[in-house]
Amino acid sequence: MIESAVIVLGQAVAALLVSPFIVGLIRKVKARLQCRRGAGVIQPYYDLLKLFRKDVVVSTNTSWIFTATPYILFASTLMASLLVPIFLSKVPLNFAGDVITVVYLLALGTFFLMLAGLDAGSAFGGMGSSREAIVASLTEPAMILSIFAVGLTAGSTNLSTIVHKTALLQDIVTDPPPHLMAFVALFIVTLAETGRVPVDNPATHLELTMIHEAMVLEYSGRYLALVEWASALKLLLFLTLLSNIFAPWGIATEAEPARMALGVLVWLAKVSGLAVVIGVIESMFAKLRLFRVTDLLGVAFILSLLAVVFFYILRV
Amino acid sequence: MIQLFLLIALVGYGLGIFLPLLAHRRPHVQNILAHGAALLGAVGGVVVGAMGLAAEGPYVFSLPSTLPLLRYAIRLDPLSAFFVLVISLVGVAVSVFAVGYVREFYGRHSIGALGALYNAFLLSMTLVVLADDGFFFLVVWEIMSLVSYFLVVTEHEKAEVRYAGFFYLIMTHVGTAFIIVTYLVFYQQAGSFSFEAFRNPSEPLPQGLRSVAFVASLIGFGTKAGIVPLHVWLPYAHPAAPSHVSALMSGVMIKTAIYGMVRVYFDFLGGEFPWWWGFVVLTVGAVSALLGVMYALMEHDLKSLLAYHSVENIGIILMGIGAGMIFQSYGLTQLAALGLLAGLYHTVNHAMFKGLLFLGAGSLLYATHTRNMEEYGGLIRKMPWTAFFFLVGAVSIAALPPSNGFVSEWLTFQSLFLSFQIPDLLVKMMLPIGAAMLALTGVLALACFAKAFGISFLAMPRSAHARNAREVPVAMRVGMAGLAVVCVLLGVAPMVVVPVIDRVTAPLIGVSIADKVLAEGGLALMPMGVGSAAISTPVLGLLLALLVPVAWLMAVVIGGKLRKRFYKTWGCGITLKPRMEYTATGFAQPIKQVFSTIYRPTVKLETELLEESRYFAKRMHFETHIEPVFQKYLYDPVVRSLNAVADRLRVVQAGSLQLYLSYIFVTLLILLLWVR
Amino acid sequence: MGVIHPDIASQMVDLCAALLLLTCFAIVAQRRLSACVDLFALQSVFLAVTAALVAFLTGIHHIYIAALLTVIIKVIVIPRILKKVIERLNVTRELVLNVNIPPSLLICGALVILAFYITQPIISLGFLLTKDSLAIALAIVLIGFFTMIARKKAVTQVVGFMVMENGLFLGATAAAYGMPLIVELGVFFDVLVAGLIIGIFTHRLQDTFDSVDTSKLTELKE
Repeated sequence: MIESAVIVLGQAVAALLVSPFIVGLIRKVKARLQCRRGAGVIQPYYDLLKLFRKDVVVSTNTSWIFTATPYILFASTLMASLLVPIFLSKVPLNFAGDVITVVYLLALGTFFLMLAGLDAGSAFGGMGSSREAIVASLTEPAMILSIFAVGLTAGSTNLSTIVHKTALLQDIVTDPPPHLMAFVALFIVTLAETGRVPVDNPATHLELTMIHEAMVLEYSGRYLALVEWASALKLLLFLTLLSNIFAPWGIATEAEPARMALGVLVWLAKVSGLAVVIGVIESMFAKLRLFRVTDLLGVAFILSLLAVVFFYILRV
Repeated sequence: MIQLFLLIALVGYGLGIFLPLLAHRRPHVQNILAHGAALLGAVGGVVVGAMGLAAEGPYVFSLPSTLPLLRYAIRLDPLSAFFVLVISLVGVAVSVFAVGYVREFYGRHSIGALGALYNAFLLSMTLVVLADDGFFFLVVWEIMSLVSYFLVVTEHEKAEVRYAGFFYLIMTHVGTAFIIVTYLVFYQQAGSFSFEAFRNPSEPLPQGLRSVAFVASLIGFGTKAGIVPLHVWLPYAHPAAPSHVSALMSGVMIKTAIYGMVRVYFDFLGGEFPWWWGFVVLTVGAVSALLGVMYALMEHDLKSLLAYHSVENIGIILMGIGAGMIFQSYGLTQLAALGLLAGLYHTVNHAMFKGLLFLGAGSLLYATHTRNMEEYGGLIRKMPWTAFFFLVGAVSIAALPPSNGFVSEWLTFQSLFLSFQIPDLLVKMMLPIGAAMLALTGVLALACFAKAFGISFLAMPRSAHARNAREVPVAMRVGMAGLAVVCVLLGVAPMVVVPVIDRVTAPLIGVSIADKVLAEGGLALMPMGVGSAAISTPVLGLLLALLVPVAWLMAVVIGGKLRKRFYKTWGCGITLKPRMEYTATGFAQPIKQVFSTIYRPTVKLETELLEESRYFAKRMHFETHIEPVFQKYLYDPVVRSLNAVADRLRVVQAGSLQLYLSYIFVTLLILLLWVR
Repeated sequence: MGVIHPDIASQMVDLCAALLLLTCFAIVAQRRLSACVDLFALQSVFLAVTAALVAFLTGIHHIYIAALLTVIIKVIVIPRILKKVIERLNVTRELVLNVNIPPSLLICGALVILAFYITQPIISLGFLLTKDSLAIALAIVLIGFFTMIARKKAVTQVVGFMVMENGLFLGATAAAYGMPLIVELGVFFDVLVAGLIIGIFTHRLQDTFDSVDTSKLTELKE
């Protein structure tokens, strides 16, 4: 019982501490590719610290929803991170939620963020919420199907079961084509859900090009810090899902300190690698027009659908 | 004991029908009498339902009547007790709400009639799910339909209300016709209308007739439930009715149709089904769910939006039931029980949160006197309680953890996921596609309620209606609070609800899964045993509730004391006016554009330019419509051909008295000759 | 040769084949002309890698030559020709679509399922190293054909044709461990000539109509 609590706490701390680093790493890669030096990789930590200490300015049009949302968003994203295997395959909280729960916990945060966007009464916030609605609508089916595809190989949507079986390569169906398709689909979904180019540009200053940023335009001080941290957590969560579901080797399969320490290092390496890939992709492509995002997400949906179909046809 | 409470329930409703009519011209007395009696009846119903679920065997009671073939027979088995419980729980909350709400109608309409009809409605619905005889069922079903028609046309001075009522009346009778066909099929084989005879006929029905019964009952009950394409009456009738009645219609009346389907499929036609039955139900469910939510997104009348969401949720319920039926056809009884359990759990959840949302919409209507969302705004400050309860309902219907909607949607996902155990390739591939559609439906519902709650309650008021709104009376708030509490309980205590529903599914399918579903000392739901997927909403809820103060504490530790300043929203230097806020139509516009193949929107823009300078516009008129696909391509042609046929037949009615007399004369001659 | 476990070997070839299929989808989802050509080049690289892998695993050496030819002709020469055509003729970058992208994606998905359904009896008899790849090969051929129908610009017709050829090559490699070398050479030469002819044809199209939209060809009948 104590051991489980320690592991859960460890996961929370790991997720919270590493997420700003990942954001910093992506920015650094982009800067380098633009032939700039760029800010240090630990700059996001300084940014968060600064934001926490600043005064908060709240619009007179808003209600309690606006001030409650950053806390709800942060809590739900952190909660979702606790359900995902990070350095140990058998997460203590795996009885509390599976991968569908993770998706819906993130949706809880998105729901309140959409409300907060509408709360200030400015047209930008409403626009952000409206665009977020359509992007989220298009990513959900692809996400659920790619999760199903992966879950089918392990016979369950329980994340610990999937990761554990894949890591030990026992009792699991290995099949490159559906796995590859599910991976690509989930990768595209990651780009969409975390607001990265080519779906949304996290570094833009032009309100009319914003999706996620427009919803949080009115936030300042510690509220903004919590929202930014929650976005970083969400990004880290998706990268963890991508690396630990498809290539979990290195993760600790028993709760032994040495193996868990190794698991942390391997995890850090994997998510950093994926972060670099994302940085490169963000530099290679331009942001898509909102109504062209359907094409991209359509590809993700078809790939995830095919991944599921492949599983059934090849396992006949 | 059951008899006692059943009697209390019947007497309560009965008093509610007669007493209000006596207190003439005293609306307040009529109000209290009617709703007090209804409350009594509903509380009795709750107890009856609970006792029926806990009972060992079914309770049966019957009385012969003066008419041949008709017996007043009722039977309280777990399935009917479940539905009685659902009906009565919603009835309790709505009756309390109605005490405050019908004040709207004082002086304008007869409260006595309204109260009497309300009680008759609740009574007839309770009897529908209790009926144990086909003929009696049809009688009470018809009473329920007629009473609800009269309730819908309460405000009959408005043309649109009359139209809605008329449409509803026709559609419900079409449905009833198909139900009659179903029962006649059973009657013909069983020789009597009693449900017991339907269940165990002397010889089993041949397969062809079983399929006829299946299709007829799907259409018949489906019309009442609101499956696509038979749903068109819902968005007219539910908004037209007074809000507390809409809550009952949407929350409970359409569930009686689900009861009918479950009764016919699992009880009468039980055991072996061909796989295509479940497949049809699943497909109908998936299509209804998706189309329901898509049309809901485009509505800006709050009650129409909620009505379309009822179509969507009926679709989700049918997806669970359909999956259950498919598993049953392959003999996978545990999975079949899971599917049916998911469907029934969603039934009770939807009744609660839809009832809550309609009561919320009723409160908004009471406070602002308009149903148009585009005229709301900023109401969270004027009506904080209503806003909070509406938020609970919105979170539940969007299936966000740890709400009750999440639990039932998760169970539905699991039953769709576990399809890999089905041997047939085509069928088992359809279930993941159903899951994709369910996922799309879920996220669109989330977007729709972000819109509904956000536009109605947040930011600034968009009209004088909204600016002058005030919080609603206590009775209305208490009614909403009751349903909100039930929603929360259903969400965090699934380990209590699942064994109860299992008592309903076990006799129908033959296996009990309660002990397999609960795990971790009862904290978690684990459908397929250890190692498979699980959720634990109490733990999720607890941790979420803990993490929020933890986040706050972290912010305080890192950032020190909170210093807040208030200022206007930044509007690029212009003072923001309510007209600059986002509208409901604007919010849904990207979705309309992306899914334009389904919506086929048409836009009309007329500009009137100034005479002095043709560069400036004096007036612009903008109209956008989505194509009413079902009305245009399905209903209108049917209506046109019916009218055409009727026109032809009109020749018979020439208006001349002598002609009519000669018709009678000729018929008389023919009959006399024939008898000879 | 037989050193690597046969199961892992076939999984590796499957992986490469799946990458090929992914590039097909990327081509169908494209709106920019130059991106189509680039993706085709990428696809040919994957194809060469697949062929080389098959050669390595089975020890049949002439497949290496086919892989090399693939790299030279389909990765370097033909994309060069196509890029030159695009540049010379000032073809506008946007594609003209007969079928919109979301429906085309759905149709391509259906074609993949169809391809698997058709090759299922063959697959279950399979004793070959790369049996699943045959189904993917058929799928790629069908998708290439569909691309020719669903897109209007002449350059995209070429790309579609080339994709079909890629699929055929994959099928030959997967099912028959490559065709006899002389056939391979002949096919490559044919493809090269076809590419050149289409390049010339596109020039003529531009001269006559001042556009490379092949639907303009219907005007010829008046």
